[in-house]
Amino acid sequence: MNSKQTAAFTEEHDIAVPYMQRLRDYYLALGYSNPYRWAQYADVPFTPLGITLDQARVALITTAAPFKEGAGDQGAGAVYNAKAKFYKTYSQSTSNPGFLGISHLGYDRKYSTAADLNSFFPLNALTAAAQQGRIKAVAARFYGTPTNRSQVTTIEQDCVDLLALLTEDEVDLAILTAN
Amino acid sequence: MSLTARYLEAHGIPTVILGSAKDIVEHCGVPRFVFSDFPLGNSAGKPDDLDSQTATLELAFRMLETAPAPRTTIQSPQRWSASSDWKLDFQNVDRIADAEIKKRRVEFDKIKAIGQKVRDQALSNQTKN
Repeated sequence: MNSKQTAAFTEEHDIAVPYMQRLRDYYLALGYSNPYRWAQYADVPFTPLGITLDQARVALITTAAPFKEGAGDQGAGAVYNAKAKFYKTYSQSTSNPGFLGISHLGYDRKYSTAADLNSFFPLNALTAAAQQGRIKAVAARFYGTPTNRSQVTTIEQDCVDLLALLTEDEVDLAILTAN
Repeated sequence: MSLTARYLEAHGIPTVILGSAKDIVEHCGVPRFVFSDFPLGNSAGKPDDLDSQTATLELAFRMLETAPAPRTTIQSPQRWSASSDWKLDFQNVDRIADAEIKKRRVEFDKIKAIGQKVRDQALSNQTKN
C-alpha cells in the first residue's frame, strides 16, 4: 500500500502500549542490567460462572492502599511513594471504604492524577449494579493485595490469605482492578 | 493481579481483571481480561465519568457470563482522548534527556532503599504479631 491508501488508518503508535519493552529499556537506560522476568504460564485455569449474576455475591479486589499515617503524600497527584506500600493482604468494609490511594504504584502520572477513586476502584458502579439487581450483592468487605516484587510471596502468602477472606465472606466471583 | 486471578480461579472462584497493561496481563495468561486502552491508573474507567465506569464494569459482567475459555480478552471501545499521543510518553527512554535519566537513577536508588526499609519494618511487625 502507498501512503494515500493508508491515509484512513490510525497512527502507527496507536496500539496497546508495549509496557514490557518500555520498562525493560527504561531500567537498562537507568543502569540496571538484570531485567525483570514477568510472570508467564503456558496453562491458564478457568472456572465457569455456574450461576447467574443476579445470584452472585461479588468481591472487589484492589492493589490500592489505605492511608498510612506518617507516610507522606498519598493522594491525588502524589509522586511515587514507596513509604505508602503495604505488605499484607487486607480487607475493609465496602459500606465505608475511606481513603484509598495508588501513590505506591507506577501509574501514569502525566495523564492521571488518581483524584477519582472510582477510576481504579469501581465501588460506586458495583454498588449501583447491586441496587439494580444486575448482581445479588457486593461482598461486605473489599480486599487489598500487596504488589510484591516477589512472585513467590504473592502466590504462597498473599493469595492464600486472600482466598481465606473470600471463602469466609462466601463470595461467588471476584473483580480485580489492576493499576 | 494476574497471579491472584489465576490462583482464585484454580480454587474455584471465577474472576475478571480490569486493566490497561495488555501485554503484561496476556503474557502471564489470565482467565478473563477487560482491557481499557487508557493510561495506567484508570482500569475501571475514566475519572469523574460514571457512564465510563459503568460501561467498563458491564463489560466485566458480560465476560463472566460469556467467556468460552481462558485467555479471553475484550477491549473496551472507549477512547481515552481524541489524540493517541499519550501512548508515546510513559517511561519512553527516547523522550527522556540523558541528564534526566541520571537524575532518575539517583531517585530510583533512594526509592528502593525506602521500599526495603518499609518492607523490613512491615515484616518485622508481622513476625512480632
